[in-house]
Amino acid sequence: MTTIEIEKLNYRRNLKTILKDVSLSLEGDKIIGLLGENGAGKTTLMRLIAGTAKNASGTIAIKDDTEADTKKALVSYSNPLGGFAPNTPISKVVAFYEKVYPDFDQAKYQQLADFLQLDESLKLAALSKGTREKLVISLTLARQTSVYLLDEPFSGIDSMSRKKIINSILKWKPAEAIMIISDHYVSEIATILDEVVIIKDQTVVAHKDADEIREEFGLGIEAYYEGLYEEGVTHDEI
Amino acid sequence: MEFNDKVPIYYQIKTVIYDQIIAGERQPGEKLPAVRQLAVSLTVNVNTVQRALSEMIAEGAIVSKRGKGNFVTEDTQVIETIKTQLITEHLSNLYEQLHRLNIDDQDIINALVTYIERRGNSDDNH
Repeated sequence: MTTIEIEKLNYRRNLKTILKDVSLSLEGDKIIGLLGENGAGKTTLMRLIAGTAKNASGTIAIKDDTEADTKKALVSYSNPLGGFAPNTPISKVVAFYEKVYPDFDQAKYQQLADFLQLDESLKLAALSKGTREKLVISLTLARQTSVYLLDEPFSGIDSMSRKKIINSILKWKPAEAIMIISDHYVSEIATILDEVVIIKDQTVVAHKDADEIREEFGLGIEAYYEGLYEEGVTHDEI
Repeated sequence: MEFNDKVPIYYQIKTVIYDQIIAGERQPGEKLPAVRQLAVSLTVNVNTVQRALSEMIAEGAIVSKRGKGNFVTEDTQVIETIKTQLITEHLSNLYEQLHRLNIDDQDIINALVTYIERRGNSDDNH
């Protein structure tokens, strides 16, 4: 079973607190929504789990493993492809992934690319926002790992692309893996979530089962999330 | 399909499948699609589908056969019971709403009969 145990995580950058006292325990084969406003710390938390951000105090254990290098092999993190030159064709990006990640499954990538209708010959610069995100999702899911981190895969994407991406997640997420999807607009992914984790004021303020929120409070996920954000204005905002 | 985000998704999945069974769209003994396939076609989580199916298995409407998949029960008695429950549920909602308006039982029956007659006529005209 996949587990992620985060204990007393604190992270500062340039004298600014990004995350404080984050403790979180995730387990099983779930899809978890990581919700919070822009700047709440969602991306930082993902980068810390993925091991691409370092020097935080506290511990993050994936399958009881806390070593940065072995942890990296357990996590597939959606990379915005910022390191590639704009004129790189998709085929070159795929070749790079194959070379760098031993767990990259070429056949699975092909299934995803076919399903999402990606044209291998196109250059990165020529891709629309939606197509670029489809490529990112295909590359991320084509790796065979225990944890998948998708950082705002739906921001600025048309509804048809969004539906296709959601379907590809449901089809190709390995049964035993944990997936964390961050978003600040909840309703588009609410039906596919097992649990939600809400980040506010640099820390985790709620971690709940999605259907429990509906059952206990008679609220939609979005209303519950917004309710938490409205509760008590912090001093920073005054 | 469109889900109501205020109602547990597993419960809505149960309702959809029960409606299909009662309407005869899924026949007794018919095999259900695989869990992941159901999840994709409903755009919901695999675990949520599993929870809905587990409850339906516990209620006897679905039979799980090891290694073969999930099937609609062949026990028509069970299907009849579910149908009765569903009708009762819809009627009790209707009854409570009308009763709250101080409409007496005979008037409710009369109104219902009149409504069904008119509805039948107007549907025939289409």
